[in-house]
Amino acid sequence: MVVLREGMCPGLDEDLVRDLRAADIKTVEDLVSSDIEELAQRCSVSYKALFAIRRVLLAQNTAFPVSGADLYEELLSSTAILSTGNPSLDKLLDPGLYTGEITELSGGPGSGKSQVCFGVAVHISYQLKQSVIFIDTTGGLTASRLLQMLQAETSNAEEQMEALQRIHIFRLFNIFSLLDCLYSLRSGGLQQASVGGGSVKAVIVDSVSAVIAPLLGGKQNEGMSLMIQVAGVLKTVAKDFNVAALVTNHVTRSGSGEVQPGLGVSWSHIPRTRILLERVERAAPVSHSSMRSATLIKSSRQPCHIKEEFDLQWWSCSKEASSGKRKLDETDSG
Amino acid sequence: MQRSVSSSSLSPSVKMKLVNAGFQFTADLLHLKPLQLSKEASLTQQEALEVLQAVRREGGGGDEAGGGGGGESSSLTALELLQKEEEMKSIVTFSSQLDAALGGGFPVGKTTEICGAPGVGKTQLCLQLAVDVQVPQCFGGVGGQVVYIDTEGSFLLQRVVDIAAAAVRHCSLLVEDDEQRVAMETFTVETILSNMFLVRCHDYVELLAEVHLLPDFLSEHPRVRLLVIDSVAFPFRQHFDDLSQRTRLLNGLAQQLISMATGHGIAVAMTNQMTTRLSGGQSQLVPALGESWGHAPTIRLLLHWAGSRRMAAVFKSPDHKGATVQYQITSEGFRDVGQSEQPPSKRPRTQTVASVASQRDTSC
Repeated sequence: MVVLREGMCPGLDEDLVRDLRAADIKTVEDLVSSDIEELAQRCSVSYKALFAIRRVLLAQNTAFPVSGADLYEELLSSTAILSTGNPSLDKLLDPGLYTGEITELSGGPGSGKSQVCFGVAVHISYQLKQSVIFIDTTGGLTASRLLQMLQAETSNAEEQMEALQRIHIFRLFNIFSLLDCLYSLRSGGLQQASVGGGSVKAVIVDSVSAVIAPLLGGKQNEGMSLMIQVAGVLKTVAKDFNVAALVTNHVTRSGSGEVQPGLGVSWSHIPRTRILLERVERAAPVSHSSMRSATLIKSSRQPCHIKEEFDLQWWSCSKEASSGKRKLDETDSG
Repeated sequence: MQRSVSSSSLSPSVKMKLVNAGFQFTADLLHLKPLQLSKEASLTQQEALEVLQAVRREGGGGDEAGGGGGGESSSLTALELLQKEEEMKSIVTFSSQLDAALGGGFPVGKTTEICGAPGVGKTQLCLQLAVDVQVPQCFGGVGGQVVYIDTEGSFLLQRVVDIAAAAVRHCSLLVEDDEQRVAMETFTVETILSNMFLVRCHDYVELLAEVHLLPDFLSEHPRVRLLVIDSVAFPFRQHFDDLSQRTRLLNGLAQQLISMATGHGIAVAMTNQMTTRLSGGQSQLVPALGESWGHAPTIRLLLHWAGSRRMAAVFKSPDHKGATVQYQITSEGFRDVGQSEQPPSKRPRTQTVASVASQRDTSC
C-alpha cells in the first residue's frame, strides 16, 4: 500500500491528489485497480491525464523479469568467494564465503564463533586488502585481539595499522540500533566506508541472536517481524553491494536434548549456509583446548553433516615461518 | 529500499494506527506536518510529534550517506578502537596470577561472570574488586567508585572493612613519591566505604528495575567504574514457572549490562551459581541460568575446588587463552598462593595453610 503523494509522477499535483482522496482513492493500488473512465468523470479530470499517470505508476512499481542467462552472467561477473583464512573451514564452505549470501555460524558459549569472525575480518583486511564492516552486539570485540592476529600475519607495523584501518566497527546493543545501522549502510554508509581502503567485501554481525532473542516469544508480537526485517535488509545489502554477510547465532536444546541453532524455524530459512561449532569434548570439565569441530548443517552446495576439526589458534599462528603446513603444537604469543 | 514503519522504535499501538491509516513506509511520513498526521492516523498531537521526530532522525541518518552510521551509533575503525582500548585500564584483583590470566585484571567496558559452588569465594572476590576499583591511579588502579547490587544479603560490612584496611596498608607500603603520598591521604577505609553505593534487591523485579534506572545514576556519578551484581542467579532461580520468559528477561538484562559497560565505561562483574546437568547418565556441574545465559557475559571465570585447593579457571575470553590459576582467601582478602608481601605477623599462618594444602596433596 503506497500512499499517493504529489510529485510521485508528472501530472500528479496537489489538487489532483485532493480530488482523488475525496473520491476515496488514497493509495497507488486503489488508483491502478479502479475504473479510469468513471474516475475521470467523478473527479472532473481528463481521461488521458489519468491514463498517463496510471501507466507511469505501474512502470514505477512493477518488478521486471530477468532472463536466466542474464542472471547467470551477472552472477559470474559479480560474485566473489572469500576465504576465511582457515583451510578446514574453507573446505566446508566450498571453498569460502560467497558474496551476495548470508552465512551463519552457530555454537554454544565459548565455541569460537567470535574468534572465527575476528579471523575472517583480519584475513579479508590483510590478505585480500578489502574493507570489512563488523557489527558487534555482545561487546566481545577487542582491537587488541585483532592486532594479535595481525601480528601473526606480518611483523610490519605499518601494514598492521593499514589493515586495522580497513575494519570498520559498529557497537550496538538493541534491535532498533541494528536496524538503523543496516538501513544507513544500505543507503550510502557502505560507500562511505569504502573510501580510502578497498571496497567493502564483508559485513559481519556478531551476534544477531543477542538482539533478537529477547523479543521472541511470550506475549510480544513484534519480535518475529523485526527479525525478518533484519534478514530482509541484510540480504538486500549483500545482494546489491556484492558483500558476504556472516552472522553468528546461539544454540538451544531441542526436545530430545540435541543442540540446534537458535532463533527458531523462521530464521533457519534466512541464511544460505549454516555451520554449527562445538568444542571437541575431552575428559576434563574445564579443558583449555583450542580445538573445535565445525559441522555443516545447511548448504546448497555440499552434502550436509560433514564435519571438520580445526584449531582456533590457526589465526594466531605465525604464518611467515611456516611452509604451508599447519603446526598445531606450536606455542604462540596468544 | 524503503524502510517500513514497523521497523521504527515506536510503541506497537502507534505503529498499528499508522499502518491502519495506510502509512506503510517511513518515506510516506517525512513530508507531513504533526497536525495532518494526528488527524489522518487518529493519534494525539504528542504522539504525532514523536513519530515525526523518530522518523526524521532515522531517515536523516540514512540520507546523509551514512554519516558514520544511523542515529546514535557511530563507527570506529579498528585502529581508533585500539587507541581507545590502550587508555582503558583493568581492575586488579590483588592476585597477580589471576590478573595475568585475565590480561591485567577485570577489564573496564566488558561484563565478567564469576561462577562457582557455594563457599568457593565468589562474594570474597566481589568485595575485593569493590575495594580494588578505588585504588588511586598513581598506584596503577582505576580510582573509581562502585555500585554494589546485593541480591543474596551476603554483603558483610566487617569483611569489607578488613579488606579495605589491608588494601590501604598494602598501598602505604608502596609509597615512593609525593604524588602517591598525597593520594594516600584520600585513600582510607572511610573514603573507601563512602565510595561504595550499596543496593539491596529482594527479587528479580527489583533487580531489573534497578538495572533499568542505572544509566541515569551513572550519568550523574561519572566516577563509577564498577558494577557488581551478587548474585544474578539467586533472584532468577526462585519461583520461575515460565522458563522461556526467564531466558528472555536474562537476555534483555545481558544486553542492557553490556550497553551500560560500553556506553559509560564501567566494568560489570556478576556472580552465578552452579547446577547439575545430567547427560547420558552422567552428571556434571555447570553454571546455572541455562545455556543461553552463557553467551551473555564477555568473560567467564569458574572458581572450583581441586582437592583442597581453590582454583580459578578462565573458560571464556575473547582475547586470552583459557588458563587455570590457584588462589587463596586470607583475612586480607583475595590473594595469590604463597604471596610474600604478607606482613610478618601473618606469615606463620600463611605457611600453615600452604603446608596443610601440600600435606593433603601428597595424601590424595
